[in-house]
Amino acid sequence: MGEPSILIIHPDRKTQRTVQRILGSTGYRIDIADLAEQGIRLIEHLSPVLVVVDGSLPERDAAALFAAAKARGTEACMTLFGARAQAAVPAILGLGAVTNLLVHPMPALAEELTITAQKLIRGDLFGVEKYLLWGNDLEETVLVRGSQRAELVAQLADRVRARGQSARIASMAMLVTDELISNAIHNAPVDAAGVHYRRDLPRDGELLLDERHQVRLRWGCDARFLAVEVTDRFGSLDRETILNALARHDVRESGGGAGMGLALTYGSCDHLIFNLAPGTRTEVIALIDIRHPPNERTVASSYNVFVEKPRAPTP
Amino acid sequence: MTPPPSETRGRMTLTPGDDALALSGAIDEGAALHELLSRARDGRLVLDLAAVTFINSLGVRDWIRMQAAAQQAGLTVELRRVSEPVVHQLNMIIAARGAAKVASFYAPYACDACGREESLLVDAVLHHELLARLEPPPMTCPECSAQMAFNDFPERYFSFLSV
Repeated sequence: MGEPSILIIHPDRKTQRTVQRILGSTGYRIDIADLAEQGIRLIEHLSPVLVVVDGSLPERDAAALFAAAKARGTEACMTLFGARAQAAVPAILGLGAVTNLLVHPMPALAEELTITAQKLIRGDLFGVEKYLLWGNDLEETVLVRGSQRAELVAQLADRVRARGQSARIASMAMLVTDELISNAIHNAPVDAAGVHYRRDLPRDGELLLDERHQVRLRWGCDARFLAVEVTDRFGSLDRETILNALARHDVRESGGGAGMGLALTYGSCDHLIFNLAPGTRTEVIALIDIRHPPNERTVASSYNVFVEKPRAPTP
Repeated sequence: MTPPPSETRGRMTLTPGDDALALSGAIDEGAALHELLSRARDGRLVLDLAAVTFINSLGVRDWIRMQAAAQQAGLTVELRRVSEPVVHQLNMIIAARGAAKVASFYAPYACDACGREESLLVDAVLHHELLARLEPPPMTCPECSAQMAFNDFPERYFSFLSV
């Protein structure tokens, strides 16, 4: 294996160049393939640190590329042009293999793609700060009672409005915050046997949260995003559960049941990021784009599911 | 035509009106929506949702159950002045629409001339033909009287009407 590299698989030459310029900033060598077959050969030959796959490729090709990347232990990310997104996202989620999807109105992909690439390459996953411009203060609260959820959500909405954001943005922020906190309090706690022992407790009853069960909320806002981060100390959420939940949003027929909270959160923000440290912590970040009016935003939302890799034992 | 309050989250409350039952606040784990069925009159349950400011996944679940129970009991559910947060949920979860008839709903408009954003009431019966073609009814800015633009994707925002 030679110099570490990133592989871009995209049929369009102009987009290849745009993505090449963006990812070139990482300092890694960039290789490019026009077709899936060529891409699979390069994955096997070069073992790149990251593969970036275009969402316009046929489903079968995309699935084969993600499988090839997984077999080599290579991280993979799919990019998808906004205009195609609404029709394409259900099929992509249906593959069950795409753990990083960035839906973008070209050419505004640079920040999201760079952050995704850097997180995958460096393995430094946690913190909402990565998504906000430098200099923004985050507001932080640690929940010690379940009943704090409703109060906090209402306070957050008031503060978002006080920062000049629209009622619509505040409403979206309320929903994602409520759902993420609710998940962290009730769904995250798991015992040694894998039983989610708080899942079926009434949500309107009081629940004291000791140190292990405390949930941290942080949020901030810059000129691009309103960002909400919720962290639990269990790390029980896994890739498969997340992808199934997000896929249900687009099936839209299922109604109730576990996972609907995540699906609604995904449908109510522009980018949903899961940072998973299995058995240790789960951090979920929801980004709401405040730059554009609703009718100029992408129709579908981006997502990332990052999983912290076990550290190699020190010799 | 008072636009609904924006984002405050209080417990859901019920206010009986002449013809409709007005719901306000948050539809969440404490909403107990099944109790609404006993308020139906002459086989009709008419709900005014203008002041519903929030509905989470637990509220949606409860809402779906309430709609199913109403159908089972042979009740007709009519929704009036459906607020934007409720419309968003109805658009995301098809099962939440049930068999309810939507008489009117709030929709986001923006004025290119003065920049004002407003949630405006749309009469779904009066504008039935336009809405079926996914065309937003024309609206005038309450501030500068210019023509306002619909401030969402029509195919997404109006999808809850196509049950």
